[in-house]
Amino acid sequence: MSLLITETNLRSLVDALVKGATLVVGPKHSGSVVLYQPLAAGSDLTLDELPRRSAKELYFPVCEDILTFKRENGKLEVRDIDRSRFPETVLIGAPPCDAGSPSILDAVFSWDYNDEFFLERRRKSTIVGIACTKGDDACFCTAVGLAPDAKAGSDLFLTPLLGGSFRCEPVTEKGQALIDKHAGLFSEGAAGEPVAFADQSTGKLDLPKIKEWLNGHFEDPLWESIADICVGCAACAFICPACHCFDINDEGNPDNGTRRKHWDACGFSKFTNHASGHNPRDIQNKRYRNRIMHKFKYYDDKFGKTLCTGCGRCIRACPVGIDIAEILDTINKKAQQG
Amino acid sequence: MNAKAEKIRVASIDPSYYQAVTDAIRTEAVKLLSEEAVVAVVGYLPGRRIGTAVPGLVTTPEQAQQLIFSPACVNNLSLYLTKAKKGVLKKGKVAIIAKGCDLRALAGLMGESQVKKEDIYTIGIACAGVFGANSDRKGGLTEASIARKCRECTVHQPEGVDLLVGTLPELPQLTALEAQELARLEALTPEERWAYWKEQFSKCIRCLACRQVCPFCYCEQCLCDKNRPQALESSPRPAGNTAWHIVRAMHLAGRCGGCAECERVCPMDIPLNLLNRRMAMELKELYDYEASMVPQEKGPLTRYQEDDDQSFIK
Ligand code: SF4
Ligand code: SF4
Ligand code: SF4
Ligand code: SF4
Ligand code: SF4
Repeated sequence: MSLLITETNLRSLVDALVKGATLVVGPKHSGSVVLYQPLAAGSDLTLDELPRRSAKELYFPVCEDILTFKRENGKLEVRDIDRSRFPETVLIGAPPCDAGSPSILDAVFSWDYNDEFFLERRRKSTIVGIACTKGDDACFCTAVGLAPDAKAGSDLFLTPLLGGSFRCEPVTEKGQALIDKHAGLFSEGAAGEPVAFADQSTGKLDLPKIKEWLNGHFEDPLWESIADICVGCAACAFICPACHCFDINDEGNPDNGTRRKHWDACGFSKFTNHASGHNPRDIQNKRYRNRIMHKFKYYDDKFGKTLCTGCGRCIRACPVGIDIAEILDTINKKAQQG
Repeated sequence: MNAKAEKIRVASIDPSYYQAVTDAIRTEAVKLLSEEAVVAVVGYLPGRRIGTAVPGLVTTPEQAQQLIFSPACVNNLSLYLTKAKKGVLKKGKVAIIAKGCDLRALAGLMGESQVKKEDIYTIGIACAGVFGANSDRKGGLTEASIARKCRECTVHQPEGVDLLVGTLPELPQLTALEAQELARLEALTPEERWAYWKEQFSKCIRCLACRQVCPFCYCEQCLCDKNRPQALESSPRPAGNTAWHIVRAMHLAGRCGGCAECERVCPMDIPLNLLNRRMAMELKELYDYEASMVPQEKGPLTRYQEDDDQSFIK
């Protein structure tokens, strides 16, 4: 016997949560793209397409105010953002490559500094992940240790079944609490066959070996051959569920303004530009090298995790078709040869 | 013509056309590299996934055997000849594969003294069209998958190139969707049009892919990167986004070659080429200027003439 929910009841769950003043965020059509957006009702939820941008923006928005300042009678008054007003949130319909990323990012946002903007939202959210049946030839989650049915990062996990229902598996107490609170929408029954996953063409990657190769190949002709064509935009980083760089700017005027945090990326030429004018990453392939190094070596060195969930978004979005799965495969082969 | 009829006719472009272009490119590239007539050939290589191709900076005859031409060859490769890509290609003469729309950018770059004609060898392609962004690429080039710019292309047949490859297959007449959309926007009231663009700009996440692929965005210091003080807000919010797109449209006016690369790469599907085309209309009207495949002496906005229209000075 398994715990089941019908598609109608899943949408009713969204309705019930919204009525209860919970912010529900899930994939939703917006013009020609699908994005993670607040759902006004269960009918807004779309489960037929992988959102163009990742779910990280629920915790780490593309842009947010972090304080405001105002000069009054010659005195500058600084106001904090009231984070206690961040709402209780349910993220629903995130495939494993998205559901799995916030828990990877917890490490960096609570390391030398506790980023309360990120952490407060994390504390107040429940993630309802869903097994992915929409993969395409850019996906390689299996190669980096996840899978279309990986539960890592989810509080409650749904598996689409043939016939339209979902099998529900609580993964954490938060997930169980969500079920308990809306018990009427779930039922016990025999789970039918799950909907088949799309095949992934890329082979399994030996991540420890890749890291070992990276340890010894900061300088290597590979970087030129794969990344000289990189144009240096941030399409890959901005839509990536795991990239988390940001810039901080004061906007407004010296007497009245806002300090804002917004996405940044190591692909930009100015990212490492020193005040002196010196730039240690003076050419694009060095910047691209950092992308690989950070994801598959530095983050692992520091936090014991890989900074990639294999969602394939960067592969789909790269203006010049740089294919991180192919690059990893190349490094994997080199690493096996020692 | 209904959509179905269009689909059948476009899909019927004989695959042997692409093969012939590919073969001709390979033959020429191998020859140029073996004779050391050029240090590199900037062309297209096959991507791992079905229906994809990637820019290739090819330096050996062996690599040149891998060059391809297919509907997936979307990139405007002239970007790699600009100073934004300084140091990526060895010094010396470079051969470049160019479709008609890419040639307009090359010509513009020559007009701006960024590229010297004698430093490059252009291999022009008689081009039937390429895939649009996010199109389904499994079924070849169809009415559904062809790029919007190609539906109303006027430069299928390159001019002024060192070598022309390919023979154009018979091309179907396709509805000019982009021109229709432009006309629809023109017919709106200024308020409605403003609402439309506000909505579009609000989607921008400032990834700067549009800037980075543009052959004319080669400035070493872009206005939008300036942050002390900010020239315009860097954060992806309506005010800064709108300023950014207006700045870019103005800085590209009279320079843009219309390759539509900026629009193709936008991860948020913002129809940037509508802005480019609107500016091009303005340039045509005011200065009788149009981007072309052969270099022009001086761009309309970098030349002063006694009889220039000055009515805008009030
Ligand atoms: S690096 Fe690419 S494939 Fe990996 S998580 Fe980021 S966007 Fe997805
Ligand atoms: S890969 Fe680059 S943009 Fe992404 S998190 Fe690392 S340094 Fe930041
Ligand atoms: S616009 Fe014309 S020349 Fe350019 S890719 Fe399309 S068909 Fe080819
Ligand atoms: S590519 Fe699109 S999202 Fe990125 S900066 Fe340009 S308009 Fe904005
Ligand atoms: S502005 Fe856009 S269409 Fe014009 S040359 Fe640049 S990339 Fe091409």
